[in-house]
Amino acid sequence: MLFLGKEISTPLTLASGILGISFSSLQRVIRDGAGMVTTKSLSIEPRIGHEGPVIAEFDGGLINSVGLTNPGIAEGLEEVEKFKRGIDGVVIVSVFGANAEEFVQLASAVNDSSADILELNLSCPNVEDEFKRPFALMPDKITEIVSAVKAVSNIPVLAKLSPNANDISAIAALTEAAGADGLTMINTLGHGMVIDAVAKRPVLRNNFGGISGPCIKPLAIKLIHDAYKVVNIPILGTGGVSTGLDAIEMMMAGASAIGVGSAVYDHGLDVFKSIREEMEVFMDTHGYTKYSDLIGILKEN
Amino acid sequence: MKCDRQTLPIAAIREENSSLRTFTFHSKLKAEPGQFIMLTIFSQGEKPFSILDVDEKSFSMTIKNMGPFTDRLFQMKVGELVSVRGPYGQSFNRQSGSILMVGGGFATPPLRFLAKKLREDGVTRLVNINGARSAEDLLYVDDFEILCHQSHIATDDGSLGHKGTSVDVMEKVLQDESFDQIYISGPEKMMKAAVAVAKKHQLPYEVNLERYMKCGVGVCGSCVMDPTGFILCMEGPIVDNRTLDSLEDFGTAHRGKTGRKTAL
Repeated sequence: MLFLGKEISTPLTLASGILGISFSSLQRVIRDGAGMVTTKSLSIEPRIGHEGPVIAEFDGGLINSVGLTNPGIAEGLEEVEKFKRGIDGVVIVSVFGANAEEFVQLASAVNDSSADILELNLSCPNVEDEFKRPFALMPDKITEIVSAVKAVSNIPVLAKLSPNANDISAIAALTEAAGADGLTMINTLGHGMVIDAVAKRPVLRNNFGGISGPCIKPLAIKLIHDAYKVVNIPILGTGGVSTGLDAIEMMMAGASAIGVGSAVYDHGLDVFKSIREEMEVFMDTHGYTKYSDLIGILKEN
Repeated sequence: MKCDRQTLPIAAIREENSSLRTFTFHSKLKAEPGQFIMLTIFSQGEKPFSILDVDEKSFSMTIKNMGPFTDRLFQMKVGELVSVRGPYGQSFNRQSGSILMVGGGFATPPLRFLAKKLREDGVTRLVNINGARSAEDLLYVDDFEILCHQSHIATDDGSLGHKGTSVDVMEKVLQDESFDQIYISGPEKMMKAAVAVAKKHQLPYEVNLERYMKCGVGVCGSCVMDPTGFILCMEGPIVDNRTLDSLEDFGTAHRGKTGRKTAL
């Protein structure tokens, strides 16, 4: 199938932030059955991120507050080149800037690399102390950043949206109007907090973090469907997918490709293969011949 | 649940030498030699530490003071709360027959744990080489003496045992005797040298690797090794000879806190 003009063998995609620092782990995820991989969000300068614990578990999923750890755009793009030299796989480079100028600078750097797709992380919930409100909650910022990046980027541009936005339909529509080639949705939800009752302390060093995992899947599906109804650009759906049926549901809601993140925590890298196989069984059983037959076919009651 | 946490008071602190202390906690931890835990100091951070020993109702780690985190830990008193999750990672694969252990510096505690288990298993011969800069840096000299059939000591300055490294002693030992399995735990340069000796004698070995770790459960990517994408926290830290041959980073490079790769 095609996603933003790129041929992929499966819609399954490694979501940003999971194992995404090195070329070797990105290649490994492709070998383990993903069609596309997303790098960790790269910023202009290297970032250490937050002190640990950066991850906490609860019954429905995870909260994390990694704080955009990354080796910086120059080093990150070297890893992308190494990735491309070793394997035939589509790589989405995620970038994070403090303002439109930085996003433009990052997009220009990515132009000179072998990256296939650029993803703008407009919605990281874990750096608000440093960067204030996520851009994805501010319509004028989305328009400013997306249109500025589109003016320079020579590869397709995905904008990663936040589930915390008040009116996702309006946000999706204006992101498309600003020129985005596709949407990635959703980023982690909240903030949430997990408490260590014995210590009377939050588990995360940063106190709170973005919520991911199975508990956010229904929200992701609803928001993807809302967006799908108002835009004509493809959606990379992410949010709690860990089974083939999860992925099928999300595609029926309107996603053209499916990001997998927290499921790697629960099930390891084998999860790409298992989701892929489960999708194939469902499609065979119910008479779907290709992935694109699934996209947006949901009928509301 | 991979992140099952135990929040516990420090039950005992034992001073091993000027920079090493053993912290004991009264709780059950189902761990094997070579595995590690992630230890949180509230308001400070979280770091991985390999396990020294476990029994039915307690576990302990011998920890070197080497930075702000351990500085804070070394200020803590018995009764203060920390949080521990784990055990994580792969343990040494315990073989039967004759066994050689080669240790260096403050990386020897997992070998002490291993020695205890190997004797419980009933190995026919267990020889240990314990190396450090000087006599005061050697850990568990008496324990290795009791646990092993033969126990060698090497110090760089000759203050105790053979003057030289544990790898020097390893070469001598292997001239007279062969082993079914070698286990190596020490600084990476020392392990690299020990691996070269083991290879020369065509003996199987396992090493105990260390890389910067943040999540401990195989998702953050901090500890991944090139070029295979080996996830050390989950698939290591104990690595066998076959896997080690595929890791170009061994003895050459590691990733720092930002993920940036630098030469060792």
